[in-house]
Amino acid sequence: MLTQPEARRLVDRITTLVRATKGAEASVAVRGSRDGNTRFAVNEITSSGDVDRLSITLTVQLGQRAASATTNQQDDRSIDDLVGGALRMARLAPENPEQMPLLGRQSYVAAKGSADPATAKLTPDVRARAAGAALTAADGAKVVIAGFVGHGSHSLTLGTSEGLSAYHAWTTCGMSCTARTPDATGSGWAGAGSNRMADLDAAALAKVAVDKATSSAAPRKLEPGRYTVILEPAAVGSLLAFLANAFDARRADEGRSFFSKRRPGDKLFPETITLRSDPTDAALASLPFDLEGFPLAPTRWIDKGVLTGLPYSRFWAKKQGKPPTGRLGGGGGGGGGGGGPSVGWALDGGTATRDELIKSVQRGVLITRFWYLRALDPQSVLVTGLTRDGTFLIENGAISHPVNNFRFNESPVQMLARCDGLGPTAIPSGVEGGSLRVPMLRTHEFNLASISEAI
Amino acid sequence: MKLSRRSFLAGVAGGSAGALALFAEPRLAAARGLLTEPKLDDLVKRALGAATKAGASYADVRVVRIRRESIATREDRVERVAANEEYGVGVRVIAGGAWGFAATPSVTAADAERAARDAVAIAKANASLMKRPVVLAPVPANVDVWQTALVKDPFKIPLEDKAELLLAINREAMKVPGVKFATSQYAAIAEWKLLASTDGAYIEQEIVRLGPGYTVTAVDDKRGEFESRDHDLPPRQAGWEYVESSTLLADARRIGEEAVEKLKAPSVAPGKKDLILEPSNLYLTIHESIGHSTELDRAMGYEANAAGTSFATPDKRGKLRVAAPQLTFFADKTTPGGLATCGYDDDGVATQKWNLVENGMFVGYQTTREQAAWIGEPASRGTCYGDSYGSFPFQRMANVSLAPGPRERSLADLIAATDDGIVISGRGSWSIDHQRFNFQFGGQTFWEVKRGKKTRMLRDVAYQANTIEFWNSCDALGGPASWWLGGTLSDGKGEPGQINSVSHGCPPARFKQVNILNTNRRNP
Repeated sequence: MLTQPEARRLVDRITTLVRATKGAEASVAVRGSRDGNTRFAVNEITSSGDVDRLSITLTVQLGQRAASATTNQQDDRSIDDLVGGALRMARLAPENPEQMPLLGRQSYVAAKGSADPATAKLTPDVRARAAGAALTAADGAKVVIAGFVGHGSHSLTLGTSEGLSAYHAWTTCGMSCTARTPDATGSGWAGAGSNRMADLDAAALAKVAVDKATSSAAPRKLEPGRYTVILEPAAVGSLLAFLANAFDARRADEGRSFFSKRRPGDKLFPETITLRSDPTDAALASLPFDLEGFPLAPTRWIDKGVLTGLPYSRFWAKKQGKPPTGRLGGGGGGGGGGGGPSVGWALDGGTATRDELIKSVQRGVLITRFWYLRALDPQSVLVTGLTRDGTFLIENGAISHPVNNFRFNESPVQMLARCDGLGPTAIPSGVEGGSLRVPMLRTHEFNLASISEAI
Repeated sequence: MKLSRRSFLAGVAGGSAGALALFAEPRLAAARGLLTEPKLDDLVKRALGAATKAGASYADVRVVRIRRESIATREDRVERVAANEEYGVGVRVIAGGAWGFAATPSVTAADAERAARDAVAIAKANASLMKRPVVLAPVPANVDVWQTALVKDPFKIPLEDKAELLLAINREAMKVPGVKFATSQYAAIAEWKLLASTDGAYIEQEIVRLGPGYTVTAVDDKRGEFESRDHDLPPRQAGWEYVESSTLLADARRIGEEAVEKLKAPSVAPGKKDLILEPSNLYLTIHESIGHSTELDRAMGYEANAAGTSFATPDKRGKLRVAAPQLTFFADKTTPGGLATCGYDDDGVATQKWNLVENGMFVGYQTTREQAAWIGEPASRGTCYGDSYGSFPFQRMANVSLAPGPRERSLADLIAATDDGIVISGRGSWSIDHQRFNFQFGGQTFWEVKRGKKTRMLRDVAYQANTIEFWNSCDALGGPASWWLGGTLSDGKGEPGQINSVSHGCPPARFKQVNILNTNRRNP
């Protein structure tokens, strides 16, 4: 993987080459990574690999014309081809009235501890030991286990011909596993992500998955309907990601978003709901700047239930006369082997413990995680998906018995609007929606629309 | 440029010359060789040698170069023009009965040798946790060149021409009153790879895929509502002539008008209805419910932590009636234009066509060399694929298609024969459970059918069903002329996630009494 000085020299070299052409400006992003992963299934290791990656993206601007080219080769000929190709394409590209001038020097919030040296040096035998802990737990309990251990070391270096210089390095790691009973009537999942491998306890994660598998065996039928539900963090994160992705001022102003009919100051949720993006959250692989190098600031988008505002890109902010916030994406790919950057979405947790949340439910359903979530209606952020790997009926404040899985049709907006209990937060790994810091929560009238026979 | 494939074969065979002689039936292609860098001959030979020396019982080397070009527009402007090139080498080995893999973007013999040694070290780190050593089904030592049949290389078409086509589409669509937004995009992907293995494979392939498309959005400012309509042209393995011969531009007005019509359409009344699915919608239902359920690694629990397992377990093969008797589903990695079509898979196995569901009965699986023996088959079906130099190759979906009915019958014939139903076209929202039972799909357009005629458009429609009940409820099938090849560029599977491009052909089909949902929550 390139060192910071090597990446910086590459950025400077490309910028200089582009500036040799009159009127041409350059924005360069150099990203390097080294990822390692180990997969296991049917109680043995199934594959494992270490992969080095490099990506050098050059965007050339000629007035309002712009084009980007990317290579992963750094020899002289490849760099010459990159510069020549981007210049040629930029000349041919039609003018884009929305093209903004490149950014100059910026200052960023300090994001300390994002790159953990021990995690950056992890070797395959450490992964094999983590996988081995899961295999031992599964063999001991006579269940069948499958899972994934991944880690990565990443860096992103940005520079422009206007003087912008940004660098961030981070590590990621994650482990998840799914245990199934040999008769295929029970299944349990657990997973966690961080930027420090020391934060992950492979044996403890495996125990949760194994215990859930055995306790979810032979589920009883529960009719579809609207239920009080306790959603574990993995379920909350997957559904919440759809709301996070809806945070965009332009789509709202253009009339094609849930937020089109809402204004800053509107109270959308109970006071306990605070949703933020935090570029300093090291465990979420957050970046302190967006991919244009615009500084990202810790922001409460929902503060005590109230919508505070929406993110504005530089172009849209200029057009609407608002301050730009930088571009916010979704959850990113932190935690596992993919390790894409995120903006650090986090939903604040509460003081209730897991047991207290369960104890407070007269009749409801405990849901471990969701699967195959897809948007149905962007205006209401209606989403469909399914429960899996540990779905239980709660009766009189205690888990009563395992039940069948469900397809749900529900919106994260309603999930939060009807939320009246929040537990401690966690970072689930290997779930749809990317890496978010989210709590377990209690909500009501959750639409479990049809039965899924899947286990 | 002088290729040295024969000397290569002699070089790597080494101690296993006897085994190689058994399978060596080199099919040196009459086709033009694609190899542009003669040094790669030396690189792959040295990497395989390093792996063997370090203790690998099997090794393969893939040198992969992927080029992408993409253009994105909205309304009257081009938002993005981008080209992307990725090159690298990945080495996969078996040592101590376990897999190991390492990859680097540095395509030099020294770094390929280093990757080979790293891969062996990784395999050895895992070997003590193996209960059964990995065993590969035999394969002939294939030596060949294969490439997409195309007339016009899309990478040589001037950028301005491509951008102008997209802008012209937007202009046409924006002329329709009520249309407020139009976005269009184009992507071309060229995947070149050289595969060499210690079992004698030496295969060069170049696969070119195209994905043009657009979305038109109509907005009703008064009601604060909007609806979008995508064009249905599927991505294909093809040259630029595919785009030129398409009706993308000619359809732009109609697509815009249908977006506006959908916005004004009444919301569907939920309940059981007869459903006629056009191929542009049905292909994805086939992908999710038949394509994925017949992947052997899923069925055996190897994807349990991520993509899930399958209802189609080996004990049900030859016993489970998945579909109505007139339905036959086949896997085919040779379908012309199919996104998953190629000459050889990443195990070096020649591609083929075979049945997964025969006259309604579940009969077959998609397999790799590692998997064939799991179900007692003598050879792999050739479905191994890794999506880049840095991706571990594993089982990925072949083109999986539904055969047409024996006699000619069109979509119009199906509609004319339906008393009360809904016709759905295009790909909307889609979701299926992790064992491929319960699915729910949307679409792009929804038309009410009454007494054999399309009457009016509907909105907010989704259909939800159980895979086996759904396919058994099929009572009418279009004929050979109605068969249409859809597809997707980005099917995901595995950890870390990998992408696979895959096509699915089918005729229109009718299904009896399917559960129709209303997805409108705009005014809860």
